[in-house]
Amino acid sequence: MSDLLLMLSAIAVPVVSGIAVGLIKMNAKAQKALVLSACALTAVITGVNAAADTGASHVVLSVVGPLELTLCTDGVSKIFSIIAVVMWLLAAVFSQSYMRHESKDTHPRYYAFLLVSLGMTLGMDFAGDMITAYLFYELITLTTFPLVLHSMRPEAIRAAKKYLFYSVAGGFMALFGIFFCYNNCSTLAFTAGGSLLPQGGTGIMLVAVFVAILGFGAKAGSYPLHGWLPTAHPEAPAPASALLSGVIAKAGVLAIIRIVFYVVGADLIAGTWVQYAWTGVALLTVFMGSMMAYREKLFKKRLAYSTVSQISYVLLGLSLLNFGGVTGALLHVIFHAVIKCGLFLVAGAIICKTGLTNIDDYTGIGKRMPVTLWCFTICSLALIGIPPLSGFVSKWYLASASLAEYPGALGWICVAVLLVSALLTAGYLLPVTVRGFFPGNDYKTGERCEADAYMLVPLIILAVAAALLGIFIPDQLRSLVYAIAGAVAL
Amino acid sequence: MKDIVFDFPLFTIILPLLGAVICSVAGKKVSKYVYFAVSLICAALSVPVLLYTLENGYFTRAMGHFAAPFGNEIRVGTAEVLFTLLAVLLPALSVLGGKRRLMEDISEKKINFYFVMLCLLQSAITALAYTNDLFTAYVFIEISTLTSCGLLMIRQIGRTTVAAVRYMIFNLLGSGFVLMGICMLYDLTGYLSMSYIKEAVADIAATGKYTVPLTAAVGLIVIGIGMKSGMFPFHLWMPDTYSTSTTASACILSGLVSKGYIFLLIKIIYRVIGFDVMEGTGVPLVIFVFGLAGMIVGSLGAIRENEIRRMIAYSSAAQIGYIYMGIGIGGPAAQAAVAAAVFHIFTHALTKPLLFISASGLSQASGGEVKFAALQGSAHRNPIAGAAFTVGALSMVGMPGFAGFISKLLFAQAAVASDNRAIITLSVLAISTILNAIYFLRTTMRIYLPSAEPRQNTSVYKNGTAFVFACAVLTAFNVFLGMHSQPILDMINAGIETLA
Repeated sequence: MSDLLLMLSAIAVPVVSGIAVGLIKMNAKAQKALVLSACALTAVITGVNAAADTGASHVVLSVVGPLELTLCTDGVSKIFSIIAVVMWLLAAVFSQSYMRHESKDTHPRYYAFLLVSLGMTLGMDFAGDMITAYLFYELITLTTFPLVLHSMRPEAIRAAKKYLFYSVAGGFMALFGIFFCYNNCSTLAFTAGGSLLPQGGTGIMLVAVFVAILGFGAKAGSYPLHGWLPTAHPEAPAPASALLSGVIAKAGVLAIIRIVFYVVGADLIAGTWVQYAWTGVALLTVFMGSMMAYREKLFKKRLAYSTVSQISYVLLGLSLLNFGGVTGALLHVIFHAVIKCGLFLVAGAIICKTGLTNIDDYTGIGKRMPVTLWCFTICSLALIGIPPLSGFVSKWYLASASLAEYPGALGWICVAVLLVSALLTAGYLLPVTVRGFFPGNDYKTGERCEADAYMLVPLIILAVAAALLGIFIPDQLRSLVYAIAGAVAL
Repeated sequence: MKDIVFDFPLFTIILPLLGAVICSVAGKKVSKYVYFAVSLICAALSVPVLLYTLENGYFTRAMGHFAAPFGNEIRVGTAEVLFTLLAVLLPALSVLGGKRRLMEDISEKKINFYFVMLCLLQSAITALAYTNDLFTAYVFIEISTLTSCGLLMIRQIGRTTVAAVRYMIFNLLGSGFVLMGICMLYDLTGYLSMSYIKEAVADIAATGKYTVPLTAAVGLIVIGIGMKSGMFPFHLWMPDTYSTSTTASACILSGLVSKGYIFLLIKIIYRVIGFDVMEGTGVPLVIFVFGLAGMIVGSLGAIRENEIRRMIAYSSAAQIGYIYMGIGIGGPAAQAAVAAAVFHIFTHALTKPLLFISASGLSQASGGEVKFAALQGSAHRNPIAGAAFTVGALSMVGMPGFAGFISKLLFAQAAVASDNRAIITLSVLAISTILNAIYFLRTTMRIYLPSAEPRQNTSVYKNGTAFVFACAVLTAFNVFLGMHSQPILDMINAGIETLA
């Protein structure tokens, strides 16, 4: 019972404090104290909950018939919830400095939705069945789109609309799949390996699962519903873009993990057209995302395209359905969250301090903000996958698993796409470093404008984590990932 | 002593009639108090009846001297009492929410007539729910038609009069069809009492004779009721009617009156014709197809609109389509589908008034404008109306956590369990949901955006207490139905089982 209390309070603390920030008028100091302490308290509660390790599922509310709102902490919940609280805490710290250059009246709204969306994300992480997960999935959309809307400029409004409609349309496509699962599975509660009924493996069920994958893929920026992501993520304030790209987009990944591995089971789609089509879609998105990022000149938008590509690495790993694929996918979820948060925060720091948004203007930025750019460089190298930094480890798993899953040409195509995409990643990230540190002779040194401590502390933490998590991954985390992959993969 | 419960349904029909008589001679204040007192007493009387039926199933009560086939009777089951509760409480809430507009729209001297109409309407809808006699049902159909026209006409501006005339024509045509259907049934069976007609119809169907007249009778009744309740393709009277009437009337007409006819249709299907015979005539398939078409066409109409109330009105056409789709699914999942339809009657009856009331709050905060362009930013000028509209919109779109999601879930479950209508139903459900999302979320976003042009008056609009109360109650019902709907669904299922 105590773990139910922990989960409920992890959801309630940010929601309640978010509503308080939004509705009660308070001065800047009180606001800062409330936001930071709410994030910290949530992080502590989530940590204790992850350590408690019961795995029991609790019914919170009976909705209708056999459908219930259930909460449960299993391995996947632990990984996703810990990522969420850590990233939110760092982003909240970063916001304290970043938001100073935004108008004061927007602060309550921004912090309110930031905190409430943390509660919704944790609710999604702790969901014990598909209906609860879907409930929080939609709530995440509704509570994060005001973050995109933040500046209220016409472009922001257009981006927010696009986000809303893509996500809602995707959500309803997924719901269509869930309805079929409801009829063809013995339960919608998450069970490792799924609970498909013996007569449930029909052709229509395959279609339903594929539609659900595409629908949930909208939030993860997967083809064909990826169009909103590069428009919407950069519109939010930088710390919120970091969370959108690093954590919230992973809600789509989590939903896909849940429905494929915990509701219908990997057996159903293994070797069918669904698996091939899914791999194909993921490969296409990986390549296309990198390509678009390479061509994009606006820094935050480039990072958003990079998110499209990187999250499809995760989906590629999941689509392999084997042990290595799932392991690589989960590791990439963790690493990408750390790295992409770091990169977006760097973008935030640069925009906040210099006002420059176009990459062509970043010449010599390393002379002006050396620590920030070093953090950027480390995160970039990790994302490209230079050994022994973190991105290398996950990509290694993904490449070897795709060769194992598809012995023929398709396996080699996967590896080739991964390599080309890694090259493109280098191509779109490293020029910033190179020109930032080596501006050339005709460059006149601008004044030094290094970010302040509120920005640098989260940046340095993320950069160090991005560098070291690959080799010095904590044993508990490693065994957790192995346990999940062992339980659900084929 | 316990027997007195049997008389409560009759009281809930008679008492509003008495209230109407008092209101017709009373002043503005007194008639208001009389109306609310009547509503509260009727609601209070219905609660013990509900508890009784939940425990003991249905009961019948002879009206007048003669016993059933010749005399008149009422028959009370769980579904009927639930619907009566809705019929009693919803108009009262609508009047509370639309109070300020009511006082503005209607001339002072006529306000007591509004309450006369409300009392009569309440009595008519209650009687429609309870009566076990087809001809009595027809009489009360006419009473509710005339009173709802009164509710519409009482706002005397040109557009309302045009809308009312159109409403009247559609409704009278519909009544005519229903009457012809009833006459044919009487001709075929020799009864007007519902239960007796059913026995006779079963006998006729068993012999295999008279299939054409039977199908024609059923078809006429369905067309008639479809016209009166706004089934596709007879939904074109809706936008004008709901957008030009005063807010409270729009809530009552869309939330309750059209549902009263649909409830009667469900009763006729189960109690007069019998579900199996009904399936044999092929009419449910027609209802199903028109329901599906309504779901799409209504939403498309709503997308095209640029006035908030017309948009909500078109959305009603789509929601009525959902209900008819549920009634028409048939096959092995018929009961689950009808239960979903009845549940959606409640969902829609609790959501649509919330939308109309909050929309009127938003437009009042924007100087009475109803165009979207003028409403931009109105949620900041009237935060309570904005929040209420958001709840209503999310519920209509089918966001989990609100009543609309449960409706869609129930429809989808029923569709998946039916033989061959799963794919078409789910596909149309998905398309219609996405269309709903387009216009409702677009509007919700619009009211929260900053206003296009700077306004002189930026202060927050002051709502009346009654308005806030109505919004709060409807929102609470919506969230309750969305988060914990099993008790209501159990009652509906029990009600449908005793409906036959």
